[in-house]
Amino acid sequence: MAAISLSKLNKHYGSLFHAVKDVDLEISDKEFVALVGPSGCGKSTTLRMIAGLEDISSGDIRIGNRVVNDLPPRDRDIAMVFQNYALYQHMSVYDNLAFGLRNKKTSEAEIKAAIDRAANMLGLHELLARKPKQLSGGQQQRVALGRCIVRNPEVFLFDEPLSNLDAKLRAQMRIEIKRLHAAIPTTSVFVTHDQVEAMTLGDRVVIMRDGRVQQVGTPLQVYGKPANKFVAGFIGAPAMNFVSVTVRSDGGATTVEADGLKLAVGGADARALAAYHDKPVIMGARPEHLALGEGAPGASFDAHVEVVEQLGSEILLETRVGSHGITVARVPAETVIARGDQVRVSAQPGRLHFFDPETELPITG
Amino acid sequence: MPIVSRPDFLPGLPKWSRKTLFALALFGICFAFAFPVLWLILTSLRPESGVYYVHRGTEFTLASFAEVLTDDRIVSAFLNSALISTLATIFSLLVTVSSGYMLSRFTGPASRIWFGTIYVFRCIPYISWVLPLYFVTQSWGLYDTYTGLLLPHVAVHICFFSWLMKGFFDGIDPSMEYAAMIDGCTRWGAFIRVAIPSALPAISALAVLCWLFTWNEFLFALILTGNRVPMITVVMAQFVTEMGLRWNLMAATAVMALVPAFLVALFGQKYVIRGLRI
Repeated sequence: MAAISLSKLNKHYGSLFHAVKDVDLEISDKEFVALVGPSGCGKSTTLRMIAGLEDISSGDIRIGNRVVNDLPPRDRDIAMVFQNYALYQHMSVYDNLAFGLRNKKTSEAEIKAAIDRAANMLGLHELLARKPKQLSGGQQQRVALGRCIVRNPEVFLFDEPLSNLDAKLRAQMRIEIKRLHAAIPTTSVFVTHDQVEAMTLGDRVVIMRDGRVQQVGTPLQVYGKPANKFVAGFIGAPAMNFVSVTVRSDGGATTVEADGLKLAVGGADARALAAYHDKPVIMGARPEHLALGEGAPGASFDAHVEVVEQLGSEILLETRVGSHGITVARVPAETVIARGDQVRVSAQPGRLHFFDPETELPITG
Repeated sequence: MPIVSRPDFLPGLPKWSRKTLFALALFGICFAFAFPVLWLILTSLRPESGVYYVHRGTEFTLASFAEVLTDDRIVSAFLNSALISTLATIFSLLVTVSSGYMLSRFTGPASRIWFGTIYVFRCIPYISWVLPLYFVTQSWGLYDTYTGLLLPHVAVHICFFSWLMKGFFDGIDPSMEYAAMIDGCTRWGAFIRVAIPSALPAISALAVLCWLFTWNEFLFALILTGNRVPMITVVMAQFVTEMGLRWNLMAATAVMALVPAFLVALFGQKYVIRGLRI
């Protein structure tokens, strides 16, 4: 049983750099939380503070019922997977796995049983006698996972464990980690800069930027209801299109207009935008919520195709609308289309996002 | 890729002549380094009357070696040099490894001050240490003792080799030590059980360098020792007397002094190469 609680957590490096700012976060027992953000956003520092590898400037960290602020890493009952595997190079895989348990003075018989279990789970049996240098990156990372499992800790910490692997292996390991968490439900914190990893692995996703938490929510929440423009742009691939538009209302109908673009807005969006009459706002449209062809009345616009990216399963279009670049995703792969074509693009009604240009907070009610 | 097969190495020439040129150059370089040693060995094997005509005579003898080996002073100089080299290596490694580790891993004021100190001492020319050291050893009663020679050597090693060691540790990923700390080690435990074993090739390389440095050292040995703790490098030079130069004896001593150094370098070479590559 180990929930993690961070309250008013801060990290200063000297007087100049404030790496982590007032982070509050409650992670419940057995939950898998992904910390995601661009590099330098403080996510790794936060993780290292939970691990005890980094001092806390102010605030509290609790694991279970204990405040662990001043506990050394070895007393926190955690295990950690590192980006570059961090296997003990001079020891065999077996000794790597046994290291933590031997430090706890566990009997060799028990150690062997624990390693057997982990090796079964991760398919490590043939590797046990080898040295880390004789393993591929994927194998090394599996050994690193095994090293965590055998200790049976309260908390798993992952520091960008998949970044050094190639794309295919990364997808495999993602599934492996997910399977592992299902088999051994343990409170886990997973740091990554890859929003796909965060979305696929996390029960909840924590998005950070410049040391501050931007939003905490389930993958669906952060995708559907981003807390601000940054989150909206960070989550989702390809990234959300942002266009600076002006709100107009002719009679009863509300429209948003930009160079080469005029879209009708209805329902809750129109009510929320009423306060912004004749003012600029930022419109966000996810590429997957745009489609080729005439849609609902007033929801379409003309676009000029600049780049065609054929993915086999779909086409990504980079288009130009007036002075704005707009990406359109999910275009059927068979569509005959070429650079320089003029196309009609329609937005799915109700799937547009609007942000205040100053606060960058969502306007949509 | 071997240099001879690189396309940009004298591109105008055909391959065989590139190879020949390369071989000639290698031979030239080797010869330049090996020639004095060769001459030294020849001299040591010549009778005293023949040392000025090393290249002409046909008479060879081991008499010089016999004479040198029966001289107690020279034998004890050998033992002293070996002992002091070994002790200096052990003591300086104890400090250098941890000091290099500190310089590599910690960024606090202590580390910065230590770095600065080493830097300053490294900048001082080697020769200008000697006279102050002479006075200090005199006044502390350490002149012409093992300790009096050992301490300065260890100090020099620390200044010169802490930097090398820092470089080695910089090349070793610290997350291994973090993993060890999470796995139940203290900071010291992580250093001793994970960092040191990973740095072992580098440490072996450093041991070889330390040992050779002290074995070959002349200046400290000359100034800081007298008759009680003769060192081989000093004894070798003492064949220059007012009665004349005993070249053959000097050469025989030098050849013998070469042997341990040669062996250490030979067996240590693989560590040195591996260590310096980390």
